[in-house]
Parts: sequence; C-alpha cells; structure tokens
Amino acid sequence: MAAPYLVFDGIAKRFDTVEVVARTFDLAVRRNEFVVFLGPSGCGKTTLMRMVGGLETASEGRITIDGEPAGRPGRDRGMVCQSYAAFPWLTVAQNVAFGMRYRLDLKPARKRERLDHYLDLVGLAEFRDTYPNRISGGMRQRVAIARTLAAGSEILLMDEPFGALDALRREGLQLELRRIQRQDAKTIIFVTHDVEEAVFLADRIIVFSRRPARKLHEIDVASVLGAERTLEQRDGPDFFRLRTEVLHLVRAAAGDER
Amino acid sequence: MAVDTLASAPGQAPARRRMTRLAKVLQRSAATLIALGSSAGLLALWEIAVRAGWLNALFLPPPSKTLVTLWRMIQDHHLLWHAGVSILRVWSAFVLAAVMAVPIGLAMGAFRNVAAALEPIVDFIRYLPVPALVPLSIIWFGVGEETKIFLLWLGTFFQLVLLVADDMRRVPRDYIEIAYTLGARPWQMLTDVAFRAMLPSLFDNLRITLGWCWTYLIIAEIVAADSGLGFLIWTARRYMNTAEVMAGVVAIGLIGLVTDQLLRRLHRRLFRYL
Repeated sequence: MAAPYLVFDGIAKRFDTVEVVARTFDLAVRRNEFVVFLGPSGCGKTTLMRMVGGLETASEGRITIDGEPAGRPGRDRGMVCQSYAAFPWLTVAQNVAFGMRYRLDLKPARKRERLDHYLDLVGLAEFRDTYPNRISGGMRQRVAIARTLAAGSEILLMDEPFGALDALRREGLQLELRRIQRQDAKTIIFVTHDVEEAVFLADRIIVFSRRPARKLHEIDVASVLGAERTLEQRDGPDFFRLRTEVLHLVRAAAGDER
Repeated sequence: MAVDTLASAPGQAPARRRMTRLAKVLQRSAATLIALGSSAGLLALWEIAVRAGWLNALFLPPPSKTLVTLWRMIQDHHLLWHAGVSILRVWSAFVLAAVMAVPIGLAMGAFRNVAAALEPIVDFIRYLPVPALVPLSIIWFGVGEETKIFLLWLGTFFQLVLLVADDMRRVPRDYIEIAYTLGARPWQMLTDVAFRAMLPSLFDNLRITLGWCWTYLIIAEIVAADSGLGFLIWTARRYMNTAEVMAGVVAIGLIGLVTDQLLRRLHRRLFRYL
C-alpha cells in the first residue's frame, strides 16, 4: 500500500459551542485516491472538505499534504462548490480560461489548447462566447467544473458538484471525472449525499453520522469494482449489491440519533 | 448533445425572439411617452395656474417665461460658460473622491483590520454637514477653486468609502474562495474578482453620489464664487429676479437629467451580462 498523501490527523471542529466535527476525525488518503464523503445534508462533511482547501480551520488537529500542513488556500487544491459560481462578467470561454490565469508556467498556445480541451469535455464549445446569464444552472455548473479542471490542481475538492445536472449529463460527467482522475492522477475528495453517485465514483466511501460528523463506516469500493468504471457496471450485480449495502448503512446512519 | 439551455441557442426560434424584442421596444417607447406626458402635464398645469392668477408670477414665474429667460441668459449672461464651470468643478471633485474612495473602500470591505482602523474616522466625518465646514475651509483655502473642490470632496468621499466597502462585503464568498483556490494572491483576488463582481453596483453608487455633488456645489458657489450656476442664481436673487433664479435652477435640473440618463445608458451597455 502506498504511503498516505493527504492526512486528517485528530481533527475536531466547533463553531462557538456547536460541535460540527466530533473529536476526533482521522483519515489517510493515498495519492490518486478518489474518496467520497457520504452522509446526511448539513452533517459537517463539507466543513471537513473545506479544511483541506484552507477555507476553514480545525479547532483541533491538523491536515497535512505530503507531510506539510495544508495551510492557506492555493492552486494545489482546486474546488468546485455547490452554487453555480461561474463569474457572470466573463463569457463561458473566459471563465474556463480564468482557471489558468495564474498559471505562469503555461505558454499562451498551450493555454488555448487546454481551454478548447476542457470546453469540449464539458460540452460547452458552442457556447464559448455566451455569458452565464444566458445559459441554464446546469451549464453554469459545468463552466465552473471546467474552470477548476483547467487550473490543473493536484487535489480536487468537490462539494456536490453534479447536484444541479440532469441525469444524462450527470452520468457523462461522472464518467469523465473518473477518467480524468485516472489519467491526470488526481486525488479527489468528493462530497455527496447520493448513494449511487458515491458507489460509482469512489475508490473508498466514508459514511458519516448526522452532525456532529463522525466516521461510521469505510467502504472499499475499488476492491469490488476496480479502478476502471464503465456504464455497464452500473447495471451489474456487483454494483447493485454494493449500492444496496451502502444505502442500508446510510439509512442506519441517518436514523442513528433520531 | 443534450442541450439543457434556457435561452434559445443561436439560430433557434428566431421568430419568437424577434417578437419579444419588438415587445421590448414597444414597452420602452410606451414608458418614454408616459414620462414625457406626465412632465408636459405638470408644466401645463403650472402655466395655467400662473396665467389664471392663482399663483403670483412674481414669486413663481410660469414655465414659458422661465424658458425665455433661460434662452436670454444663455445669450447675455454666458449661462453656458457658468454651467461649464460648475460641471467642471463637480466632475473634478467627484473624480478625485472616487479615485481615492474605491481602493480604500475595497480594502475596508476585504480586510477587517483596515475597516476597524478607518471606520470611526469615516463615520465621524460622514455625519458632519458640509455647510458646517464652509468657514473652516475658507480659512484654510481662501475663496478660490480649492475651497469648492474641498467641500465637494468632503461631501462625497466619506460616503463613497462606506458604500464601496459595503459593495465589497456583498461579493459572494464563493467567488472569493474560488479565486484563492485558483491561485490568486489577495490583491489579485481584489482586482480580478471582487472588483469585477462589484463593478455594476459600484457604478450605480457613483451615479447617485454624483448627484449629491451638485448640492454641495451650489452651497460652495453661493458662499464664495464669482462664477458658476450657484453664483448666477444667488446674484439674480439679489435683484428679486425670480425668472432668472428659476432658469438657473432649471439649468441644474436639466444637467442632472441628461447626466443621469447618459450614465444609465452606459450602465446598460457596460453590464449587458446582468
């Protein structure tokens, strides 16, 4: 087994006196691992994810990446948030290009290539000169996703990024994300409350309790479904069995403290 | 490709789009007609009231006389030159205030420490009525242009700082966080994202603040000036020439109307993406 890359070390979080993450949360994520945080809405899993991004500080414990404290936000940890955060004053193409604005290492020609590539990837090439107010919420979210991918972060933090998309587009982007993660060797923390999505995407699922967030279960999906994911798998018995199993765990977790 | 767009794609349903555009034009011209109609109605009422003797023409000259006087003042009293002087004063003070207020307001909105340091001073001065500072500014700067610019600047700068700071605080947090995770430094986040995000409301605040400038300008020109619209009005008052006073007031109103309409149009043009 590879050495831990992204480590949550004895994390606890309180907002004033309200406990958000129960003491203490420990998790070691391997390089290139796709970890899904699955749990009820508002349970504190997003807070944990934001800590990796440096957008939230832990009350106790620390997060390290390759042994270094995660610290302030930076381009090494890209984020896609739940809201449609495409910048309204930029066109679709300008939004995606903004992801590379602070990449001084890329030559303009290379930037143009990447821009076209990611626009194609999210299916927005023909809308490149359109402003976000002229496109739907789902398309705006795809703009935001392409923008973050274009930045080329090692670690991707994704907070229910596909929530606003229709089923087909969602499936397509799930496949793509999985492919990008394999191909570009990304480490991904993906927050969702959708069991099916979790099983399809994850190498490993962490099931959380209701607030304050506690790790209830860890499910090793990769050992069952492997690293390559295809749409055919979705109809297979392994996927079905795993999904049902996880669904029961989540149900139990939600009922846990009711 | 599954097109889940709300707006029609290029080339899609052109007939319907043309219809809505036509409806929009009609709507807009209807609004213009109503605006013109209500203004004309009010003017007519005023004219009739004076001519019928319900109002004393000496105190409230009718619109017709005001317009004739306005024309005569343009020819005999260099009204346009005075108006130009006033406009120049307003704009130079306003630009000075805006150029200073925008970066300071941005910093106040973005950084809590800057806000803590500046807010008491800004709030204190903001509440001082500008006329109360006229004597002091005359002592400091004499009766030249500096006094006028200073008074106008005083009346707008501190208000503007707080408005800009508020605009900055209203920038969605997601935008700011995204900027940081894309690798922006704090000042890059401010100029590339926060400033761009707040630009439309900043523009509106500037437009409104520009109007206040005129209030302070007239005060300044009444107290210490030998030029400008305020000076013309004040001189006419001395001779009980109400028609000239009215004409001066109307000139200010017209300048305000034209400026505001031009700025609104510019707003629509600049921020089409809204």
